[in-house]
Amino acid sequence: MAFLAMRGVDKRFGGVIALRDASLHAERGEVHGLLGANGSGKSTLNKILTGVVAPDRVDITIDGRPAAISGPHDAHGHGVAAVYQELSLIPDLSVTANLVLASEDARLGFLRRRADRERAAEVLGRFAAAFPGGNLPLDVPIGNLSPGEQQVVEIAKAVARRPNILVLDEATASLYSAQVEVVFEVVRELKAAGTLVIFPSHRLGEIFELCDRATVLRNGELAGEVTLADTSESELVELMVGSLARPAGRGHQVATQERAARLEVSGLATDRLRDIDLSVRAGEVVGLGGLAGQGQSELLNALFGSTRVRQGTMEVDGRPELPRHPKRAVTAGLALVPGDRTREGLLPVRPILENLTVPSLRRRSRFGVLSHEREREAARSAAEQLQIKYGSLDDGVMTLSGGNQQKVVVGKWLLTEPSVVLLDDPTKGIDVRAKQELYELITALTTDGVAVLLNSSDDDELLGLSHRILVFFEGRIVAELTGDGLTAERLVAAALQVASA
Amino acid sequence: MNTAQLRERMQAVEARDLLRHPVVLSLLVLVALFAAGNVAAPGFASFGSLTNVLRIAAFLGVIAAGQTIVILGGGEGIDLSVGKIATFSTVIVAQVSQGQDERLLLAIVTAFAYCGLIGLGNGIGVAYLRIPPLVMTLGMVGVVTGIIRVYSGGQPEGRAPAMLSALVNGTTVGGIRGSVWIWLVVAVFTIWLLRGTTFGRRVYALGANRRAAELSGINLQRNLVLLYVASSLYAALGGMLLLGFAGAASINLADQYQLISIAAVVIGGTTLAGGVGGYLGTAVGAVVLQTMRNLLIVLDIPAAGRQVVNGIILIVLLSLYGRQRRLRQ
Repeated sequence: MAFLAMRGVDKRFGGVIALRDASLHAERGEVHGLLGANGSGKSTLNKILTGVVAPDRVDITIDGRPAAISGPHDAHGHGVAAVYQELSLIPDLSVTANLVLASEDARLGFLRRRADRERAAEVLGRFAAAFPGGNLPLDVPIGNLSPGEQQVVEIAKAVARRPNILVLDEATASLYSAQVEVVFEVVRELKAAGTLVIFPSHRLGEIFELCDRATVLRNGELAGEVTLADTSESELVELMVGSLARPAGRGHQVATQERAARLEVSGLATDRLRDIDLSVRAGEVVGLGGLAGQGQSELLNALFGSTRVRQGTMEVDGRPELPRHPKRAVTAGLALVPGDRTREGLLPVRPILENLTVPSLRRRSRFGVLSHEREREAARSAAEQLQIKYGSLDDGVMTLSGGNQQKVVVGKWLLTEPSVVLLDDPTKGIDVRAKQELYELITALTTDGVAVLLNSSDDDELLGLSHRILVFFEGRIVAELTGDGLTAERLVAAALQVASA
Repeated sequence: MNTAQLRERMQAVEARDLLRHPVVLSLLVLVALFAAGNVAAPGFASFGSLTNVLRIAAFLGVIAAGQTIVILGGGEGIDLSVGKIATFSTVIVAQVSQGQDERLLLAIVTAFAYCGLIGLGNGIGVAYLRIPPLVMTLGMVGVVTGIIRVYSGGQPEGRAPAMLSALVNGTTVGGIRGSVWIWLVVAVFTIWLLRGTTFGRRVYALGANRRAAELSGINLQRNLVLLYVASSLYAALGGMLLLGFAGAASINLADQYQLISIAAVVIGGTTLAGGVGGYLGTAVGAVVLQTMRNLLIVLDIPAAGRQVVNGIILIVLLSLYGRQRRLRQ
C-alpha cells in the first residue's frame, strides 16, 4: 500500500470533464512528478489533494488510513502543505511576520518578537543561498523582494510546517537557476528525511533532475506511471499526447503562401515578450501555441495597443503602425476578441444592439448623429451571419447563453471590416455547437482575405484551425510548426522545449 | 400554450417589468406626493401649483442633466462641482452684463467659456492625472470658490438683464413660465444626445464596462474629458436661468445644487455604477424633489425637519430600486 493513494478521482466543471477515474500513488521519501499537457487535469488533481477543489468522487488514503479532505484546513491536518505560483504572502508585512503568521509565539496574548525572529531565521536559514550574499531579509517587507525571492519565502513557509506531503505546484517558474538549485537541495534533504514531495511541472528537465517517479495525465485520465530512470523524454511526451490520430490541420494548404502579408511584426518586445518576429498573410490563420501563459495573450494585447510595447515595429497592409492605444488599432484595421469575455468583451448592462455596434458607430453616423435604422440593420446582419440566437436586439446581452455572448463579442468586429483579427482563446467555456459556428466564421473570414492570429488553450483546436503555429515559451517564439510538422506530438514537444519527439 | 395565452403572459410580464422601472416608480411617487399634498392642503395638486413646481424644478433639472451624463459614464464618475460652477456662472453673467440687455450675449458666451474651462480641468484631472472624480471635483469646488471671490471681490456686482429675467419668468399660455419651456428644450436635447448620437453611445459603453469600451476602440480619455466639460456647460446654463429667476447674483446662489443634483439623478433610476439610466428619470427626479420640498413647506414643517424627511424619503426610494435590481438577477 502506497503512503499516499488517490483513487477513482472524478471532477466535472459544468459540462467539462476535468478528471475521470484518475489516480496517483506515491511513497515516503520520494519526489513524485506530475505531468500532463494543457487541460490534462494535472492542476485539478493536486488542488483536490490540497483541498482547494472539491472533487465529485475521490478515495484518498494517507499512510493506510482514509483521509477526508474537504478544505485546505483538512489537508493541513493530514500533513499536506502546498506552494502555488500565486503567492499567499502579505506584501506589507515583513518576511518574519509572514513566516510566523497565525502561529506567532505569544504569551498571554503578547507577541514574543525575538522568539518569532529566531524561528523565522531557522526556517529561512536553509534557503540562505537563494538571497544575495546569503543574508536573510527577515525585517524586509515581502513586497520589496523580487518575485523569485518571494517564491522562496513561500516555499520556506510551507517547509516550516514540517509536512509529510509537500506539493510544489510550478513552484520554480519564477526562480533564477541559482535559486532553483537551493530549492532542489532542500527538496532532496526533505526526501532523505522521509517527506513525500509532489512536483507538478512543465519543465521536463527539472522533472528528470529531481523526480524518482512521475504520474502522467491525459484528458483527465491516468496515462501512465513511470520510473524516470527508465524513461526517455520522448516516451514521456508520447504518454502526455497519446497516439490518437488527429484530423489533419491546414498545414498542407499552401495556397496562402502566394498572398501578400497583411500583418508584419519585427523585434517586438514588452515587459514580458522578447524578440517577436512574425508575419501573417491574407487568408492565413496563424496559431499561437505553447503552455498557457507564455506570452500569447500578451502578444495579442500588444499588437492591439492595450499593453505597452517597449520596442519593435509593425506593419498592417504595408503601412507602419504600432498602436499606442486600441482606438488607433481599430482605425488601422485590427480587431481583438479578448480572452476574458465578461471583463473585457461585453457591456453587460447594455442591449445586444449596442454591444454589436460599439466599435463601428462612426460608420453609421454623420457628424456624430446616429442613423438608428442603419445601426439596427448592421446589427441584424452580424447577428444573422453568426447565427446568434436572440429574442430582440433590445434585450440585455447577459440574457444570452455563454456561446451567444461570445458570438456578440466576435460579431461586433465583423461590422468594422477588419484586415487583421486577433482571437484570444475565443472558444473558452462555450458549448460545442457555438464552437463549431465560430470555426466556420474563422474559415469565412480567411476566405475573405482576413489575416487571423489565434491563441487557444485547446491544442486540438489550434492544430485544426491553424496554417502555421508559433510556439511560445517564456515570452519568446521558440518554434514554428508548418506543413507536416503540425502534429500534437511536435506541439507538445516544442511547448516543453524537448529537442525532438 | 397557444398564441393568445402566450401574448397574455407576455403582456403580464411587461406590465410587471414596467412597474419595476425606476422612471415609472418615481412617477408613482410623484403622483402620491401630489395626492398627499392635496389632502393636507386643498389646491396643492392644482394646475397652477404644478406649473409652479416645474418652474422651480427647471433649474435643478438643467444642472442635473450634466450630472446624469457624468454618472452614466461610470468609473465612480460624479461631479460635485456643478453647484459651484453654476454659482460662478451667475456671477459672471451678472458682472459682465451689468444688467444691460445689449451685453447679455457677451455675458452668456463668457460664462460658457469660463465654466467650460473648469469642466476641462475636471476632465483632465480625472482622465489624464487619474484623480478619482470625487476628489477632483471636490477639490475644484475649492478652486472655483476662490476664483469667484477674486473675480467678484467678495461682493458680486451687476444684476440680471431684463431680457434674461423675462425669458425665465415670463408667462406664456396657461401661465407656464419661460423656464419650463427652456427646460423642455434642454430635456429633449439631452435625451437625443444620449440616445441618438455616437457620444451618447460611448457614454453608456464607458459606464457599462470601461475596459471593454476601450478595447472596442473608444478613446477613453477624450470621452472622459467631454463628460466633465458637458457637465460644466449644463451647470453654467442652469446658473444663468437661476440668475434670471433671482435677479441678482451672490457668491453662493447655486451651491445647494451640488448634492441635490445627485439625488435627482439617483431618484430617476440612473445607477451610480454607470451605464444604466437616462435623462427622463432625472427630470422626473427633479420634479419629485421640488414637489417634496413644496409639500413639506405646505405642511409647515420647519427647515430642519424638512431635511430629515427629505433624507428618509431618498433612502426609502433607493432601497426600493435596490430590491428591484436584486429581483431581476
